[in-house]
Amino acid sequence: MRNLNNMSMKETVITLRGITKIYPGVVALDSVDFAVYENEVVGLVGENGAGKSTLVKIMIGFEQSEAGTITSSTGEHITLKDPVTAIRYGIGMVFQDSSLVPNLSIMENLFLCHELGFQKFGFLSKRSMRDAARSVLEEVKIRVDVDTPISEVSPAVRQMVEIARLLWLSKLYKQKNPILILDEPTTVLNDSERETLFTILQDLKQQASVVLISHRLQEVVENSDRIVILRDGKNVTEMAASDASISETEQLMVGHTFSADRYREGDQTSPGEEVILKVQNLSKKRVFEPIDFTVRKGEIVSLVGLVGSGKEGVCKCITGQEKPDTGSIFLDGKKLSSGSPSNAVGAGVGHIPIDRRNEGLAAAMTVAENVNLLVLKSLRFAGLISPYLERKNAKRWIEECLIKTPSLTTMCANLSGGNQQKTVIAKWLSSHVKLLVLDHPTRGVDVGAKEEIYKLIRKLAKDGIGMVIMCDTLEEDIGLSNRMLVMKDGRLVKELDCPLNEKPSPSDIIDFIV
Amino acid sequence: MEIRPEDDASAQERTALRVKGLKIPAIYYAVALLLVIGLLFSVGNPNFISVYNLNTIISYAALLLMVALGQMCAILVGGIDLSVGGVMSFVSVVFVKSVHAIGYWAYPLCILIGVLTGYVNGNILTRIRIPSFIATLGTGGILMSLAMLVAPVPVNVPASSWGILDIFNGSFLKISNVLYIGFFVFLLYHILMRFVIVGRNIFYVGSNIKMSWASGISVVKTRNFAFMMSGLGASMAGIMVSAIHFGSNPYVGAPYVLNSIASVVVGGTALTGGTGGVINTLFGTLIMSVLQNGMTVVGIDQYFQQSILGMMIIISVTLTFDRSKTPVIK
Repeated sequence: MRNLNNMSMKETVITLRGITKIYPGVVALDSVDFAVYENEVVGLVGENGAGKSTLVKIMIGFEQSEAGTITSSTGEHITLKDPVTAIRYGIGMVFQDSSLVPNLSIMENLFLCHELGFQKFGFLSKRSMRDAARSVLEEVKIRVDVDTPISEVSPAVRQMVEIARLLWLSKLYKQKNPILILDEPTTVLNDSERETLFTILQDLKQQASVVLISHRLQEVVENSDRIVILRDGKNVTEMAASDASISETEQLMVGHTFSADRYREGDQTSPGEEVILKVQNLSKKRVFEPIDFTVRKGEIVSLVGLVGSGKEGVCKCITGQEKPDTGSIFLDGKKLSSGSPSNAVGAGVGHIPIDRRNEGLAAAMTVAENVNLLVLKSLRFAGLISPYLERKNAKRWIEECLIKTPSLTTMCANLSGGNQQKTVIAKWLSSHVKLLVLDHPTRGVDVGAKEEIYKLIRKLAKDGIGMVIMCDTLEEDIGLSNRMLVMKDGRLVKELDCPLNEKPSPSDIIDFIV
Repeated sequence: MEIRPEDDASAQERTALRVKGLKIPAIYYAVALLLVIGLLFSVGNPNFISVYNLNTIISYAALLLMVALGQMCAILVGGIDLSVGGVMSFVSVVFVKSVHAIGYWAYPLCILIGVLTGYVNGNILTRIRIPSFIATLGTGGILMSLAMLVAPVPVNVPASSWGILDIFNGSFLKISNVLYIGFFVFLLYHILMRFVIVGRNIFYVGSNIKMSWASGISVVKTRNFAFMMSGLGASMAGIMVSAIHFGSNPYVGAPYVLNSIASVVVGGTALTGGTGGVINTLFGTLIMSVLQNGMTVVGIDQYFQQSILGMMIIISVTLTFDRSKTPVIK
């Protein structure tokens, strides 16, 4: 490829080879190669779960890989055992959600843990710190009072402070060409701040390399020199950004290799007539505008939209976890009282959360205890929970949901991601839910388990459960759903039917989303 | 504080002890530890296993067990109850002062004081949203000083009312009633935690409060209930300590705060909540009681006992605490 010839002129700053990282039940990275050249902006793209975050976490020593080597510019093999070691090699990261200490000032944050250089007679000299802070911040072109606490400045300034800190640290450790990793840097910025950021990044290129991770493909293509694409924890390809088009990159990210019936479209059923969920004039200030929609018996309705489109807010309101400002939600014609999860659960609304470990499971409790949580009342004999009925119920749903567990009393934390997810689904199924809200049900589970989760979702639809679903990828949304609701900036912008054999293509929808 | 990435595979590797790949539940370590300690003390002084001494151990263990079972509820739900000492002191002096005047009514009155304190503790946590550590430190202090106001000097139950104390001081089949009462309380908490929904909810809430809330469990009620059970345990102990000594003083509950926490933890219940149980606490309590009694029996220097106790707590927790279940150790 042309781009590679071009690149070979430049020196690499860091080379990762054959990096493999395994989480319980998931291969996050499978022998991935990644190099950063000097003075470049490299865009790292891929779908959720493609392994971008894991890869950069390994680069900053936050995680350690099971296999693979990391080589510095001098050809020396290096071990990045923690973020402190990584920064000594000039590798640092600006996190999606700021990693600064909110109650300390800008200056204190800049030099946090490296204040020794500012000692005078054994005490910290605030004056020399202040001077240094000003000159460090000048490099990223921001003018602020360095004594302001971080909690009082805008996200844009915080980001710049983080960048400035990384630059200063790499200078301190005498690294000529530091590597700045920016994870979704623009999600918290407005348009003008975004532009400023990219102008500064282009400047920084003279003295550093930047790894840019963003789900906004356009800004990656426009602002990078080179693009590296990952998919399912593997390298797909890399190319010069000048050669890349957004649609082509998108296709490469998603891949064409999956089977035609990946989402078990063949099992798709047409929904019943009966309306299960009716959402009327629902709104929440600064999250989403008034929205109306219905879900019918056995229907899978997919909510699509970018992060911040308001779809999460809508789902949170339906499950009672957030209180809407206006509007009402009817389940089977009965109005739900808003902002009460117990009311929603009692009425038959189930919820498969995105973060199953923290919101979906009692990880330290057994599979049986997790599966039986919602139906304990019906497992009683003479007012006391019957161990026999408990075992019986758990066994039934473990079989029904194909949970692979060594025993009923295995701790949930010891199951793989896919089986944990199936445990969460089993919990709701056993309680005979009428409506299930599925928030990224296949996030972080391996291909085999995904297949089984799709199978389960189809079965639920066949049993007449209505579903509101948000997926990891647009393809998954299209493949699974009967109908799609596209949200953008808090508004419902498009409603699309997805009947079997007449599914829309991702490119039809992407225009509405962006 | 040590933060570990949530990596189950490595967490399991690091689980305390494994024998040929077979994981042994924490509770067996507690049982084994109890036997070893018991054996050592018996060798040190054969009188350790005399009927008289075993009775002494049992009456202390029964007291500690009541407080510890209550404490366990507070810990399992994800909190801690530092007011158990205050409750115990206050209840015990109120019992002594009131038993002459109101007779058997002193029992329900004292139980009510304990449960009510638990209810107040729970509500300070759930409604005013103050961490239980602080909330119960406050209420415990208040009750401690109330106890001193009620009884500035040690008080005794008048001999005319001793009959009312026979519930504790009598015996059946030559075994002191204290043992039966201890067993009854153990059974009560066991049934509650194992077979009653609200008890199970304590585990769910302690294990994952966000999930419990999203699954429709009333987190407020569950936490309030756990603290009420803690107050109940402490008040029963307060009554019992007055009854078996025919009197009380306002300092009687103080040592039980840390001893109850130690008993719960030594039994293998995690301070982070959600894992552990009644049987764990039983063995934790027995270990603590046997240790404290045995050291005196074999004649270990009074001043040195505390440091041995401290060491034993650390050693027992090393054995019994299942680290794989708690990602963050603080």
